[in-house]
Amino acid sequence: MDAWIDLFRTAWPVLLQGTLYTLMFAVISMVLGLALGFLVALVRVARVPALAQLAAFYVSAMRGTPLLVQIFVIYYGLPGIGIEFDPVTAGVLALTLNVGAYLSESMRGGIAGVDRGQWDAGLSLGLGWWQTMRFVVAPQALRLAVPSLSNSLISLIKDTSLVSVITVTELMLATKEVIAQTFQPLPLYLAAAAIYWVLSASFEQVQRRVEARLNLSYRR
Amino acid sequence: MSAMISIQNVNKWYGDFQVLTDCSTQVAKGEVVVVCGPSGSGKSTLIKCVNALEPFQKGEIIVDGISVGAPKTNLPKLRARVGMVFQHFELFPHLTITDNLTIAQTKVLGRSKEEAMEKGLMYLDRVGLKAHAHKHPGQLSGGQQQRVAIARALAMDPVAMLFDEPTSALDPEMINEVLDVMTELAQEGMTMMCVTHEMGFARRVAHRVIFMDKGHIVEDCDKESFFGSPRSERAQQFLSKILQH
Repeated sequence: MDAWIDLFRTAWPVLLQGTLYTLMFAVISMVLGLALGFLVALVRVARVPALAQLAAFYVSAMRGTPLLVQIFVIYYGLPGIGIEFDPVTAGVLALTLNVGAYLSESMRGGIAGVDRGQWDAGLSLGLGWWQTMRFVVAPQALRLAVPSLSNSLISLIKDTSLVSVITVTELMLATKEVIAQTFQPLPLYLAAAAIYWVLSASFEQVQRRVEARLNLSYRR
Repeated sequence: MSAMISIQNVNKWYGDFQVLTDCSTQVAKGEVVVVCGPSGSGKSTLIKCVNALEPFQKGEIIVDGISVGAPKTNLPKLRARVGMVFQHFELFPHLTITDNLTIAQTKVLGRSKEEAMEKGLMYLDRVGLKAHAHKHPGQLSGGQQQRVAIARALAMDPVAMLFDEPTSALDPEMINEVLDVMTELAQEGMTMMCVTHEMGFARRVAHRVIFMDKGHIVEDCDKESFFGSPRSERAQQFLSKILQH
């Protein structure tokens, strides 16, 4: 029993620190990724010349290559052409670019799911393209897109573990460090898994609330 | 009478397929024109060209002195002056009835919230639905939703109203409540262009009837001659089929 208490004493400050890093990565990349995803979706839906093609290329590249490779390219590759980031920035950048591509596809799907008649109605009242998007289409698209957006955001929480490969002491690397001191891989990896699960489950709660809020208007 | 809506030799293609061929007609101020014809005849497409929801490739449409197809025309501004009512109502489902009525007034016309609310509620009252102001569209019947949609368009103080099969998606018992609102509007002198199969409405309310077939305006005459003795064989067939029941 004492052994367990000792292990807990050694592990918890490090794991807590790692969890906070993980949360920070997840939250910042989520916010930036949602903004980026919305922009990319807009450019593609509006068929902005050149930008739309560029956006399609970006989405294809991000979805078609492993996140691990993207992280390596940004952190270890780019310095080769004089662009250097500290590990935290590189991590946030990689996660944002990656999740932004997935989120943009969900949003594009949501926007396409809103009936053409809603566009016609907004435009016929004199609203411009952007006003119709903002006040009429986007709110309805968001409701359609929430389940698929949430999928990507939950994946993002877990994907933060990959930035451990560029020396960021988030939850995964923190766990490894404690294991290196204590030689107790099973309980510590299980603890890390439990923490990821708790984070994801908390996010599912957020998703439920958002869904309930967006569905309010549709009660009969 | 001066023409509120003037349509001159309008042609429209979807790729190689021509949906409108040399369509020309005029709607005078205060005139009610019913556009009818078999499905696929281009009637909905034609009235959607009037407020530029559908682009056209050749010809000219002038609404209240403004050329719809001209590249310099401010389309949102033009559309704000032409009300449109759709087959499937197209109320904004995520907004309350009040917000549906006020959103374009505040965002497009720059009216204050209070002013927009007052105007919106006045028209909502006129269509007999003031008690439903706080609800969402999903809580209303089809007929009620369509009346709200008419109120929403009227709150913009349009110079003309376009109706695109406003009763086609309604249960039979709800058709009259919508037609009644339209009839009242017509009697007040609103300029109206209505795509509809409601021949009773056309007989009672319309000044003129346009019959379309395969993208052409086949018949364009006052309602007495249309219902009395349409000249084209196609219109005769259409009428005999539609009036049988």
